[in-house]
Amino acid sequence: MAKEAMANKVLMIDYQKCTGCRLCELICSVKHEGVSNPSRSRIKIMKWESEGLYVPMSCQQCQDAPCVAVCPVKALTRDETLGRIVVDYDVCIGCRACVAVCPFGAMGFDHIDRKVIKCDLCDGDPQCVRFCEVGALEYVEAERVSVLKQRDAAQRFSSAQKTAAAIQAEM
Amino acid sequence: MALNRKIAYIDLSKGKIETRPIPLEVRKLYLGGRGLDAYLLYNHTEPNIDPLGPDNVLLVSAGILGATLASATSRTHIMAKSPLTGFLGSANMGGFFAPELRWAGFDHLVIKGRAERPVYLWIHNGEIEIRDASHLWGKSTTETQWAIRKELGDEDIKSAVIGVAGENLVRFANVMTGIKDAAGRTGMGAVMGSKNLKAIAVRGTMDIKIAHPVEALEYNKKFITQITSAKVSQTQGRLGTPFIWGATNPWGGVRTRNFQYNQHLYADDIEAERLDEIATETIGPYHMAGCFGCQVHCRAQYRIPSGPYAGVYDEGPEYTAQGAFGGEPECRSAITVLTGNHLSNQYGLDLLEAGSLISWAMELYEEGILTSKDTDGLDLRFGNDEALIEMIHRIANRKGWLGDALAEGGLRAAEKIGKDSIKYLIHVKGMSNLHSDERATPALALGIATASRGSDHLRSRPAIDLYHLPEEVLRKVYSNPISYSGPLSSDHREYLGKPWQVFWQETCYMGVDCLGICKYHTTFLGATLPNFEDWSRVLYLNTGLEMSPTDIWTVAERACNIERLYNIREGLTREHDWLVDRYFDEPCRRGAPDVIGAKIDREKFKKMIDEYYEHHGWDENGVPRPETLKRLGIDKEPSHLL
Amino acid sequence: MEREVMSTAESLAKTRTYGKFRCHNPSCMERITVPPGATRVKCPHCGLEWRVYWISPDFPRIRGPVWDVNQKLAQEAVAKKAKRKEGK
Repeated sequence: MAKEAMANKVLMIDYQKCTGCRLCELICSVKHEGVSNPSRSRIKIMKWESEGLYVPMSCQQCQDAPCVAVCPVKALTRDETLGRIVVDYDVCIGCRACVAVCPFGAMGFDHIDRKVIKCDLCDGDPQCVRFCEVGALEYVEAERVSVLKQRDAAQRFSSAQKTAAAIQAEM
Repeated sequence: MALNRKIAYIDLSKGKIETRPIPLEVRKLYLGGRGLDAYLLYNHTEPNIDPLGPDNVLLVSAGILGATLASATSRTHIMAKSPLTGFLGSANMGGFFAPELRWAGFDHLVIKGRAERPVYLWIHNGEIEIRDASHLWGKSTTETQWAIRKELGDEDIKSAVIGVAGENLVRFANVMTGIKDAAGRTGMGAVMGSKNLKAIAVRGTMDIKIAHPVEALEYNKKFITQITSAKVSQTQGRLGTPFIWGATNPWGGVRTRNFQYNQHLYADDIEAERLDEIATETIGPYHMAGCFGCQVHCRAQYRIPSGPYAGVYDEGPEYTAQGAFGGEPECRSAITVLTGNHLSNQYGLDLLEAGSLISWAMELYEEGILTSKDTDGLDLRFGNDEALIEMIHRIANRKGWLGDALAEGGLRAAEKIGKDSIKYLIHVKGMSNLHSDERATPALALGIATASRGSDHLRSRPAIDLYHLPEEVLRKVYSNPISYSGPLSSDHREYLGKPWQVFWQETCYMGVDCLGICKYHTTFLGATLPNFEDWSRVLYLNTGLEMSPTDIWTVAERACNIERLYNIREGLTREHDWLVDRYFDEPCRRGAPDVIGAKIDREKFKKMIDEYYEHHGWDENGVPRPETLKRLGIDKEPSHLL
Repeated sequence: MEREVMSTAESLAKTRTYGKFRCHNPSCMERITVPPGATRVKCPHCGLEWRVYWISPDFPRIRGPVWDVNQKLAQEAVAKKAKRKEGK
């Protein structure tokens, strides 16, 4: 794949499709740490079980990333080739300022290795995406995200209109 | 690593807790889960104890592959002496409890004694604490779980809990986790209730080291594709287990009006496709949820669309609920099935047993054996949806004479009711049958008659028998990993070769129950789904344990024999491996042309049982032969290895 | 990491068919090819009729019987059998 294309790809989450199985958490912890342990996963499913709502949360690789801005030793930088924020563990002092500032809670702290952890997009082949058969996670070009979302919203809108029309016809 | 999870012995009478490692030699003998639980039950109980007394032990476990990369490694197993049957009690549930138990450092819990007041266990990262549960007593299964999370301040806690039915010692109360995952059968919830144990809460952040992580990831990808590409998995992922209704009711394999008919006519409202429409209407297009790590996602989410519980969220219903609240009581409303499912989940009640017993009571009512005096005025005729729902409340709360009687289970209730009531009870070993009507399927009939936990379809059912697969396909499946050259028949109405299929499936299901994988990921409903060959591989990649398909087969055989030894010790004889008379005496009256008239032939069925015993290495009384026990290394039980 | 030998499950997966299902009449069990999008199909071998549901555009399944038709056929078959018995 051309480098420019990779640079522009993002992890797209469609929480409606998520079945809450947490395979992504398992895959992530095995891929990065060789262990099954969701507490060391870079992705996490937030659950509201009493209403069946599951929302995968991961790093958004922000353009204007608060974690980069807050890092006192410049251990966090933007890797333009993959469009991601990376941690330089040789520089990181483990102050966890980035954990505190992240608006998504996507910067984690590995309690076993005592280091901050975040999604690295598996160097361009995110394994969570590869294993998510329902497509709740996709790795797509950034500009495609809004188009895909628009299409989805339009579809819902149109089916809602059809229902409304059917109700009107019945009245 | 995946093998370093511990066993904990918890004595609720003394408040004493002891943890120990599980030796590798024991792992190789039983792997984990149900197999090791069976060994523990045999070794940690005295014969003839009261199932609801402090001497019973409650065993809670994860499989050896729990939380690893082997697809759907979610299963929790629970075992004890059953208060319903007096024999082996055993139940299995999906969800997220077992993986969390493993991340908390444990694989097996042996819970003994009885707490003086309501308590719950709090298990986290190697620590176990007994905590007061007075404030949780009386709460529903979900209320209890959410209250524990709030109290301990962690939304990721997973709990296995009992509801009001378990507190009231309803002999078929279950243990539940999440919204609807139920260790449903044989009354494990009543055993928990008898110990004053309301819940087991777990939370863990400990590593489970994967032996060969890179290979395990790649193999898992392939494994998942194998599972999700099966047509049956796709169907199940769309419609959930209710899809089975479409494979049984159309030709006449669903018992209706208790056991008067074998097909639920014009019951279109409770078909899987209709239930799926309701889920779509009330939740949206993406309404299927999954257990831990599973890509089949067979669990539907729904809200009850109307009626007194309109708007209430729940999950399911499963195939079981269609029969329990549809076929058997001859009710035709999806709302009734959804409501019955919801109430059973909230009360923590085995809905299969509840629906089956209520339908039995309905037949007794119509036969005049039960009168409106016995029902406190309730018009308990077939097809009365409101009466059905009311009986669920009464059983769970032991309300009224009949509610209290039925809460005791079929055999005890029959004694209380008297007259000819026992004649109408559809059970094996005191446990009610699923709503499937096996009169046209001798293989399935043999399975329920011989299942180790009483009448049950999840212990040995060769469900693929219904597909009439070509003989060469059957031979491929059933000659592996142990060779078999005897007869096999594609026709599900046949008797020939079926005992081998039942024996094979029984060993297969025991295998996954030891591994902790879901049965829907085995050769249960589809011939292309994984079996021993595949498990040998995933076991090695995840745990490093090198066991051939035949080794795993032998573990399963060993565990099946321990279960048998346990049952025999508790008084089981050949007579208990038998069906009620109606299977032999009343022919099917509905269904496909040649199904009408079908019934089980007594003599042929006896021969089937002989043959089945022979495959197991048991004598004509169903007792394991000394050489069988010796071959499996269990000729000196109890051996107290753990 | 490829294995050289195909597992039982893998070899059986090769025999999968699409666009058809087996008739649910235990005496028949023949494969019925379902016209795309059809919601009802009559088994060309035994005459029983089934209501159809589509899991995906090439994957039909039996939703249930066409009740009136199949009940009638079953009753006729039972009557015929009874007659044959009488005749003996």
